[in-house]
Amino acid sequence: MKTRVFGESVGMALRSIRGSAARSFLTTLGVLIGAASLIALTALGNGASLAVEESLKSLGSNLLIVYSGQPRGTALVRRNTSNIVPTLTAEDLEAIAALDLVAVTSPESSASAQAKFENRNSSVTVVGTDSKYPAVRNHYPAAGEFFGEAEVDSRRMVAALGSKAAVDLLGTEVDPIGAKIRLNGLPFTVVAVMESKGNDMTDAQVWVPISSFLRSVSGGTKYAALNVQAVDMGLMREAQAAIEAELLRLHKLPSMDAADFYVANQLDVLGAAQGTAGTFTLLLGGIAAISLVVGGIGIMNIMLVSVTERTREIGVRMALGAKPGNVLVQFLVEAVVLSVSGGLLGIAAGVAAAWAFSRFGGMAASVSPGSIALAFLFSLATGLFFGGYPAFRASRLDPIEALRYE
Amino acid sequence: MEAGGIPVMRLKDIKRHYVMGPTTVRALDGVSMDVDKGEFVSIIGPSGSGKSSLMNIIGCLDTPTDGTYRINGESVEGLSRNRLADIRNREIGFIFQSFNLLPRLDALANVELPLIYAGLAKRERREKAADLLEKVGLGGRGHHLPAELSGGQRQRVAIARALAGNPSVLLADEPTGALDQKTGAEILAMFAELHAEGATIILVTHDPGIARSADRVVRILDGLVVADGPAGEAA
Repeated sequence: MKTRVFGESVGMALRSIRGSAARSFLTTLGVLIGAASLIALTALGNGASLAVEESLKSLGSNLLIVYSGQPRGTALVRRNTSNIVPTLTAEDLEAIAALDLVAVTSPESSASAQAKFENRNSSVTVVGTDSKYPAVRNHYPAAGEFFGEAEVDSRRMVAALGSKAAVDLLGTEVDPIGAKIRLNGLPFTVVAVMESKGNDMTDAQVWVPISSFLRSVSGGTKYAALNVQAVDMGLMREAQAAIEAELLRLHKLPSMDAADFYVANQLDVLGAAQGTAGTFTLLLGGIAAISLVVGGIGIMNIMLVSVTERTREIGVRMALGAKPGNVLVQFLVEAVVLSVSGGLLGIAAGVAAAWAFSRFGGMAASVSPGSIALAFLFSLATGLFFGGYPAFRASRLDPIEALRYE
Repeated sequence: MEAGGIPVMRLKDIKRHYVMGPTTVRALDGVSMDVDKGEFVSIIGPSGSGKSSLMNIIGCLDTPTDGTYRINGESVEGLSRNRLADIRNREIGFIFQSFNLLPRLDALANVELPLIYAGLAKRERREKAADLLEKVGLGGRGHHLPAELSGGQRQRVAIARALAGNPSVLLADEPTGALDQKTGAEILAMFAELHAEGATIILVTHDPGIARSADRVVRILDGLVVADGPAGEAA
């Protein structure tokens, strides 16, 4: 019997809402906009987070970078290696490459250099590395072939150009492969043009064999950094620990506090970036939640008006046997139906908006199932909370007063 | 009164006082009366006499300040709002001067209302409401909204609604007050018919002419019963 009376309340609520369709729609608009912005804004936040993840993955998978020197404040961020005093040796590299948890390694040092082709000049970052660089950094030539072990061993004067460096230096008329360029006055032959990473800094670089780099560009024998690919994503912390232990041993140092190197772990970078994106998502979600609350106040306002307008109806229902609870449920259900239908429409609008952002706005947007559930629950709670007071007021009316109300 | 039968309603020394600032208004100041099953009683009195207060108490919309009130032997004082709602639903069929139909519901749905709160299933309600509309002569008007019906038709829908819960008493408050003479007479004729079928009816009015259509007239003045007897004498 209880459920039957409840079922009737839903029917009554729907009839009453249909009876004033325009007003009902306007009432739900607040919740609709709130739910839609919750979905769309968190989709943007999520999209940003996924984009960061993507771009970090494009650095190379399971990547650890061993840097020379002490960690700086921004140790987790990828650093330009050109102003690092190198402390890492070829022996270090060999020892790390021999570790079980390490798949591939390649050294890296860099310096600014003046590049010249015919009478064109351009300022570039020259990176010295070896033949395994493409594999470690997941960065392959678009044309030509990256220099191999033989070129590195024999200190050949060959260079691979970043996609932007190639255009800046050679223009688009010249076939880059085989082109003779000069770096700080020294002649290099272009053997490859790298694919674009969508990152101007990387795309403007020029790669040369580390052996040639050390002899001709920077001098010295040590490397500024080592790129290390761990065997497995799940074993990156272990790989990092193994590398640190090995280098401490080789450098005869007691602990990481005294170390002349540090290891940047891609996971940490990812974590930091995701943390930022998470805050962003939370912030956007908060804004959306506020608009849901505003929508809820709109519902409360209209429900209070509705209770007043229907005072006499409430009196009649009470005279005919409606208990305070029946009246409470009737108005509460009405508020919840309003807010939940607003919420559902808002979810549809939010999903559509997120789709439009990514389709036409060029923004990364990804709707999470969690945000849909959240928007739904939020709109339900809004109806219960903001419908509660008007419904309570209705249920407390004195039937005699209510019947007399004009 | 049937020998040994309990009255449908028994009011004993009912008082209803309203405290308004420093003064106390004694709207009812010791009213006693019985209504037996099958009686047709008018309660008559000028405005301010206390008849509305009495009607509210009889209808369980209000509870007395003092005194006892029993419906079918069941005591009503001190009951919760929920229990009072149950008693209204089960025992009382209200008929109002201004009909009080819900404007957005059609005639059938209006008649169904008390049955919803009684917990009847949809189909039972529909059947019963249709039967009752038939009985009050509105068989074909079930899907009309109140605004599409004449005053007399609206009051007949209200009578059907009052009958829906098979109440012990029909409690009519100036049922002809909003109707013209001819339509009012039709409604009173319907009461007489229901009375003949055995219904217990209490008709509250200020109009002696209308009060005379009952068998018995109770006259209220200044919160007291001043006359109680067969229609011919009291009115």
